Amino acid sequence: MDDRMTQDSKRPVGRTARRWPGSPTPRLREVEPLAPLALASVSKTYRNPMTLRPFEAVRDVSLSLERGEIFGLLGPNGAGKTTTIKLVLGLARPSSGRIRVDGRDPMDPGSRRRLGYLPENPCFYDHLSALEYLELTGDLFGLPGAVARRRAQVLLDRLGLAGHARKPLRKYSKGMTQRLGLAQALLNEPALLILDEPMSGLDPIGRAEVKQLLREERARGTTILMSSHVLAETESICDRVGILNGGRLLDVGPVPDLLASGVREWEIAADGLPDRLLRDLESAGHRVERVGARFIVRVESPQALQGVLRELCEARVFIHGVEARRRTLEEHFVEVLGRDGGTDR
Amino acid sequence: MRRALAITRNTIREVLRERVVLVLAVFGLAMALGAQALAPLALGEGRKIVIDFGLAGSSILATLLAVFLGSTLLHKELERRTVYAVMAKPIRREEFLLGKFLGLWGTSGLLLAGMTGIVIAAVTLFYATTPWGAVPSLGLTVLELGIVTALVTLFSAFTTPALTAFFALAMVTAGHFAEDLRYFAHQGAAPVVKILCDAVYWMLPHLEVFNIRGLVVHDVAVEPARLLFAAAYGLLYMIGVLALAGAVFRRREFR
Amino acid sequence: MSRRDLLPLAAGVLLAAACVVAAGFVQAGAGARLGRTETDELLYYPSGYAVRQAALGYETAAADLAWLRAIQYYGEHRITDQKYDMIGHLMNVVTDLDPRFTQPYVFGAFVMAQELRQPERGLELLSRGLRANPDDWELAFQIGFLHYVCTHDYRAAARYFTLAARTPGHAEYVERFAAWTNERAGNADLAILLWKGVVVNGNRYMQDVARRELRRLGAM
Repeated sequence: MDDRMTQDSKRPVGRTARRWPGSPTPRLREVEPLAPLALASVSKTYRNPMTLRPFEAVRDVSLSLERGEIFGLLGPNGAGKTTTIKLVLGLARPSSGRIRVDGRDPMDPGSRRRLGYLPENPCFYDHLSALEYLELTGDLFGLPGAVARRRAQVLLDRLGLAGHARKPLRKYSKGMTQRLGLAQALLNEPALLILDEPMSGLDPIGRAEVKQLLREERARGTTILMSSHVLAETESICDRVGILNGGRLLDVGPVPDLLASGVREWEIAADGLPDRLLRDLESAGHRVERVGARFIVRVESPQALQGVLRELCEARVFIHGVEARRRTLEEHFVEVLGRDGGTDR
Repeated sequence: MRRALAITRNTIREVLRERVVLVLAVFGLAMALGAQALAPLALGEGRKIVIDFGLAGSSILATLLAVFLGSTLLHKELERRTVYAVMAKPIRREEFLLGKFLGLWGTSGLLLAGMTGIVIAAVTLFYATTPWGAVPSLGLTVLELGIVTALVTLFSAFTTPALTAFFALAMVTAGHFAEDLRYFAHQGAAPVVKILCDAVYWMLPHLEVFNIRGLVVHDVAVEPARLLFAAAYGLLYMIGVLALAGAVFRRREFR
Repeated sequence: MSRRDLLPLAAGVLLAAACVVAAGFVQAGAGARLGRTETDELLYYPSGYAVRQAALGYETAAADLAWLRAIQYYGEHRITDQKYDMIGHLMNVVTDLDPRFTQPYVFGAFVMAQELRQPERGLELLSRGLRANPDDWELAFQIGFLHYVCTHDYRAAARYFTLAARTPGHAEYVERFAAWTNERAGNADLAILLWKGVVVNGNRYMQDVARRELRRLGAM
């Protein structure tokens, strides 16, 4: 029986109906696309080898990635992000639940044929050069030597390591090692990319380059799962995020949806505010800030916003722009954790 | 197999870049000096002493190298987490372990061959005869080394470097006493003790099977049947130990 | 390396050297005070069986070490008191470890026979060697030689020389030893047979000697 999991259910897909003599031609079933990664009620319990006390690193996590999305897995230290990733990669076995990577069990090496992985604080064989390491990676993926070498050159170029291709990895800086990590994760042109702290060790330019690279990969249809502490950058690049705490998945959703309900205030940038209007606004409880010749009026409610805009228009004040100051992902993150009782590890 | 061989090549590179080839240089120097220093004291048995000490020394060095390098090879990967990036590729655990084993065996075997070559060269140079018997002896010692390496691989799959080295050396030592163990067990012990001792006897590696150094030094020809039996025993034992190692490593979780 | 780094390093090296030299003096002084008695010497030397077990597959190398120790033992006593009480034990250890090592059988046997005046112990050692190496003509020859020279048992000597003469690879002088001792022991027929062998296989000088002996024995 074909037990590949779909996004929504465990309904088997792709079975063709049996044809009996004389029966009408069966309709073709629509085949639903296979989720690149699906976790169903996955838990992982470790036991302390000395005291045998159980420790639940991951508790009942269910998650399904959509093809071509960038999914951010967020959580404080010890939340279970790295454990979840290890379960997906087959580096550990779940205590319960099921995981499917492109329809296969993670313990099946075939599930990793189209998978790329960047570990957190990656460490590679430092007796090798970058080129040698990528050639080894190509061998492990079963790529023909010439193909692996060509792709290695392209990736090293793309990641700014072309000039250091033959240097032993022990001489690489943290940032260079991180970039090599991305190169080895991309060598097999993966359909699923798993990145554990991809921005770690990179300067702002490096981070911008990595974000651009991830956007390019998404445009190619690559599905990306990334775990990160850098919430500002996760917010700017991820389509959806999931927040883990204490091994449990507390919140999952598209970033705009998570933050839509969290508009804190609106900022109206205007020129030439008359003093009378300024006093009226302040006495109505709105904060007005002067920045050079410009005024920033902060309005907290959508109803008040309409009124303030009308007043400004009637006073023929030039309005440069109106911006909704949403809650940041970081603020949402802290709020979710606070509801859950904070970090309990 | 291609993935296992990729790990093998990487392991050989890693070990050689540890500059273990310096061992060859030191060994060569010791051979040359030893031959000159000891020969006059041996009352005409200088050739025998050079061959004996040369073959014994190279075997001991290669064994110690396999044990101490092998005991840290896997542990280093786990500590430094270099194994994570590798195991996230489409490689089976067993292939990875096989690659490590072949790399370590290959390297220690090459060093052993180098040292044996130095012994043959030294004897030829100083005594004008070539101990060709050292060549089949090398073959058997390489098989013996394969068993030691397989044991190291097995223990390193689930325990610390210190315990790996200890258990491997203990098995090798106990293997030399296996016959005595069995003999004493059959001298009036209870049946259950006899059965247990027999079980232990068969589990231990019978490394004496690979020892023809005594024949080499006395220029006694070795029967081909003996060589074939030793090769068959060695390969079977290695495959058994590696199968067990693979099963153990497959269950291992990376924390 | 700056001067500041060099000073502690130099101090460390000097201290280490001074300690090693001082330890050497202590060792030498302690050795002289404690001395070594004859009875202490080599009492710790284990049996061949125990050493074989401990050798872990390197018996022939262990035999060589024991051989070197035995040579040193002989040499030390040769220049001092000419007492070689432990020589038998030492050679037993060597030959237990490497039964094919023939030189210890011969050397040990002659030391026991000539120096200790105990030819029966020497013969016992050589016989043990011959049992372990039945194809070694030299061991048979040496047994014959000891019988001839030390015990004057010419029949036994003739027997072992004949055995040596019949073992492939023997030296060419073995046959005339066998012939002479067989005649001495009263085996004239065997002596004639052996001399005829020398006429066929010996060098020119030995062929002349063999023909002369055959004429003397009336066989030519």
